[in-house]
Amino acid sequence: MSLPATGRSLGLLVCLDCRLTVRGVKLPRLQCPRCHARLHERKPHSLAITTVLLISAAVLYVPANLLPVMDTRTFFDDENDTIMSGVLVLLQSGSWPIALLVFIASIVVPLLKILALGVLLYSAWRRSPRGRLQRSQLYRMVEFIGRWSMLDIYAISLLATLVQVQTFASIIVGWGAWAFGAVVVLTLFAARTFDERLLWDAPRHD
Amino acid sequence: MPPVILCPACDLAHRRTATPSSGRTRCARCRAPLQRPESAAIETAIALGLCALVLFWLGNAYPLVAMHVGGSSRATTLMGAARGLYDQNYKALGALVFLTTVIAPLLQVTALLYVLIPLWRKRTAFGQNAVIRLLTRVRLWSFMEVFMLGALVALVRLSKFAHVVPGIALWCCGLLMLCLSALASVTSPEQLWRWAVGSQE
Repeated sequence: MSLPATGRSLGLLVCLDCRLTVRGVKLPRLQCPRCHARLHERKPHSLAITTVLLISAAVLYVPANLLPVMDTRTFFDDENDTIMSGVLVLLQSGSWPIALLVFIASIVVPLLKILALGVLLYSAWRRSPRGRLQRSQLYRMVEFIGRWSMLDIYAISLLATLVQVQTFASIIVGWGAWAFGAVVVLTLFAARTFDERLLWDAPRHD
Repeated sequence: MPPVILCPACDLAHRRTATPSSGRTRCARCRAPLQRPESAAIETAIALGLCALVLFWLGNAYPLVAMHVGGSSRATTLMGAARGLYDQNYKALGALVFLTTVIAPLLQVTALLYVLIPLWRKRTAFGQNAVIRLLTRVRLWSFMEVFMLGALVALVRLSKFAHVVPGIALWCCGLLMLCLSALASVTSPEQLWRWAVGSQE
């Protein structure tokens, strides 16, 4: 069976910034002649960098969910909310579509992203030839949904700005929000440093 | 230029054909989009960009939401939301919100106009290619649509114990969100380079 013609087998490179096809020359620093972006056959150290970012995100996912994201102080009580209890508050106040939205964006999506990137990394590292199309589609889904996890950060920032001491209560941001923001940013970077093409590279013969 | 298009997602080589007039072409192996059709005229993109700039200004000049409780009331603007986090000593988090809701959308629109207006007048902006590259990278950090949904969540949570009034800026941000996504679809990176290269030949 002949292998399909790829950029690597033809000695061609594609610029990921402007999509120009460039003849690959063995130079230490290759630049795109059109947009001057650095060119690489594959993103450099893709697997190692993505692994580090992903492990950091997975570690921070724990405090992001256990520490309070906001502390609501009124005259009568003092209420610490984690992300999950925030979802429950929304559910109790009867707005279940919004509760579901926050649950998906803040709890399901980050977890799914971490797990999916883990699977992709492992299979790219093993150069497994099975289910490549599905894995490629999984990667594209991870890339697409990633930004929606920022939703809770925006909601918290608005709440903390609006509800201040001058009014009836105050909302103080908790360290959980910081950890959560870090998880979102780390997974966004992890998805971008991962080179999809590694999923399709020919398996090692050894 | 080699008569080959490489799939950026799986490195498969495809023979270069004319740009499709309708519908996008996909990679034969991994189904990633390869070529987008030639889209709207450059004038449309400039008009959308100017529209986005006006909406951005309105969205920042007026309060986003106001809250009335008892006798007192409070309002915040788009930038105020990032400021709130910053003031509570969450500087990195405030910077992240500021970057994704103010800096990135503004840079996206101004950089686009900076490149497109000279191109429309058959000229080339200074440092055009670097600006296009900056533009396509900065666009990845513009999270206006996520912010709108976040604002909705905040409104629902507050409406339980206060009277919340959506401000003019909230509507402007909603329109800005639509405007930015329309802008992104008519100015795909390929389309930008098509315009840019056409002017240099």
